[in-house]
Amino acid sequence: MRKFSALLMCLMLFGSLLAACGGGGGNKNTESQTNNGGAAPSNSNGGNAAQTEEPADDITQRKVTLKIHYPLPDETTLRAQEDDKIARFQAKYPNVTIVKDDWQYSVNEIGVKMASNEAPTFYNTWATEAQLLVERGWVADITELWNGWEYKDDINPVLQNQFIVDGKVYGITQNGYVTSTVVNKKLLEAKNLEIPALDWTWDDMYNVAKGAADPKKGISGIAPMGKGNEAGWNWTNFLFEAGGDIETNTDGKVTAVFNSEAGVKALDFYKKLRWEANAIPQDWALGWGDAISSFQQGRTAMVIAGAFDVVQAALNEGGMKPEDVIVYPMPAAEKGGKHYGILGGNYLVINPNATKDEQEMAFRYITFDYFTDDALKSVEDTIQARKAEGKYYIPTPLEYFSEDSEYATKIQSIYDKYDNVFKYDPNLFGLLEGKPEAQFGTQDFYATMSNVVQESFSKKGTDSKKQLDVAAQYVQENFFDKIQAQ
Amino acid sequence: MEQSVISPGNRVKGPEKETQKLKRTSNWKKYMWGYLFLVPAIVIFIIFLWVPIIKGMVYSFYNIDFVKGNTFVGFDNYVKIFNNPDLWLSVKNTLYFMFLTLVMGFWVPIAAAIAISELKFFQGFARIAAYLPFVVPGVVLYGMWRWMYDPVGPINALLGWFGADPVSFISDGRFSMISIVFMETWQQFGSAMLIYLAGVLSIPRDWYEAAEIDGAGVWSRIKYITLPSMRSLIMLMLILQIIGTSQAYQSQLALLDGGPNKATLTYALFTVKNAFTQLDYGAGTALGVLMFVVLGILGIIQFKLNREEY
Repeated sequence: MRKFSALLMCLMLFGSLLAACGGGGGNKNTESQTNNGGAAPSNSNGGNAAQTEEPADDITQRKVTLKIHYPLPDETTLRAQEDDKIARFQAKYPNVTIVKDDWQYSVNEIGVKMASNEAPTFYNTWATEAQLLVERGWVADITELWNGWEYKDDINPVLQNQFIVDGKVYGITQNGYVTSTVVNKKLLEAKNLEIPALDWTWDDMYNVAKGAADPKKGISGIAPMGKGNEAGWNWTNFLFEAGGDIETNTDGKVTAVFNSEAGVKALDFYKKLRWEANAIPQDWALGWGDAISSFQQGRTAMVIAGAFDVVQAALNEGGMKPEDVIVYPMPAAEKGGKHYGILGGNYLVINPNATKDEQEMAFRYITFDYFTDDALKSVEDTIQARKAEGKYYIPTPLEYFSEDSEYATKIQSIYDKYDNVFKYDPNLFGLLEGKPEAQFGTQDFYATMSNVVQESFSKKGTDSKKQLDVAAQYVQENFFDKIQAQ
Repeated sequence: MEQSVISPGNRVKGPEKETQKLKRTSNWKKYMWGYLFLVPAIVIFIIFLWVPIIKGMVYSFYNIDFVKGNTFVGFDNYVKIFNNPDLWLSVKNTLYFMFLTLVMGFWVPIAAAIAISELKFFQGFARIAAYLPFVVPGVVLYGMWRWMYDPVGPINALLGWFGADPVSFISDGRFSMISIVFMETWQQFGSAMLIYLAGVLSIPRDWYEAAEIDGAGVWSRIKYITLPSMRSLIMLMLILQIIGTSQAYQSQLALLDGGPNKATLTYALFTVKNAFTQLDYGAGTALGVLMFVVLGILGIIQFKLNREEY
């Protein structure tokens, strides 16, 4: 029997080896599809394709299944809004079957999702991800669909350009923001601090942070993010304000340039906040969620992020009043300087593994409510639902439509009807200067800078120039030198 | 007689072969159902264990691109990770973490088991109380300890009473790993304690009674009876702890994402970051293979110890 067991074990291992080696080619079908521009039909789409019937002449007559990006379970209002959209969409396209998928884009999960062919037919993502997703072939080229769309010229070009790579369209903008500083006015008043003007500078920020900080009570003047890639992301705003840049691209050669004088100035400012003003949290290893949570709990006077997210958390989760929250542009390095903030945004992209029909239907679904009266009604319903719950509706600072469009006026007239709609200072928009993120290796740069920020916060007296030179060399050798830029 | 039995060899081998064949058939019949019942388990084992392990080994020689296709790169992934200074830093951090868990945490469940076994009253309550932290979910655990370590949290408040300045338990690289070990010890000592307690309670009571008659005190009983009786169990738990802590990354990721300044970047977290943050699955699997080799050796040691014990 021992021989038999040994034989069985050998067979098992041999079988495993064959199975393991056999699967190596994985998605060879999809390789040819993506090389053809990503819009070619495929036979696999995470289980969707099997339900999609053979084509007829008119796409609306063919059975198509869409696995759609769906809000999380706790986002009840958004879910109701989406359910309403699904019903209207299916009334128009009765042959489309909708499968809801509440997976939210995550840098750590997208690879696995694509490898297992489990990503939805379309999914959400952010402005930072465009280059990565295009490089990896994880988004479909939708240029043809885009060019045939009647509203393509009405879309907000600043936001949409983030997902146009080498002239090809890979995503559709939903909304966006310019990174801002959100201030807890109450904490400033408690310390009898003067509320700075919107056209503020680094010096103003420093003074407010220093004055508002009360370390003994666990209150910080400002909570720059110190954990994860967001630490690098937060700092990059200051790099831009000081006149610096992350990288240059000359004839396809990407070079790290953040170790410039501007970089040194930005890092020195961080160190001033930490060591001179003692204005950052004692426990400064805060990620995005931790920093925003700290703001909503009244434990920091200022936080740097997309204003929508901070205000949403402060008002609807932290119980703060709209009059206690002021949205500022990022401060200019000096008086008269630009208030640069990183331009960010939310996008919907289509799975390249989806069939051509699925891709087209996904495009129609994404744009179904764009510029329609149904969408206006949906917004109004949401505002009313929020009001009934005693909550505020926070508009995103930048929308998919241009600010000066007729559609923007219609939306604004709805906002004006309700007192639970948060209103940004009208002067804010004139000061916001959105700067797109670096085109290549953005997350790798942020991750590296995160370590530099942490070193600056944990070791007193570090040499900023030396730190940035080491970081630039690391980013250059490990990431930028491997990029085949165009 | 038939021709076939003329040769003396044939006269002996013929029936023997026949007997062996019969024996095999009867053995097969005897064990057939057993093997058949094993099939589902074996299939699951192959799909979820052996295939991923072998696939991981194969992938470590490839540049992985799940959409465009994989490319064979030989030992490039291994060369790349060995040239990455973070590899050695993560190994150092992991060894430091393992050392801290031994120094700060390994003795705690042993001491708790012995102390609880000596209790005359409330032994059941003490067991439950010690085990309770183990059932605290990770999210709650990290949130709770983040508050405990907060500059205005309870631990710093306690230090403040003694006139000490607040300590940045999380953000200060000198304390961050220690803080994680303390938190993990608090959470996990209960489960190990139950195993040790079972070991202590299995020691014959008359040994203690005899020792007491001979005038042995508590410390002598522990030193000369309890600890020697638990020697094999302690060794086994030690190996298990070394294997477990060498793979640690959850707390380091959740609390500090490997920071501050890479002070809590463990080997397993470095592997996870390579694979899922930098999306370099080839390097990630190469790191996994190296860890597999090391843990395999530790596993063999544990297996041998286990065999000696039972």
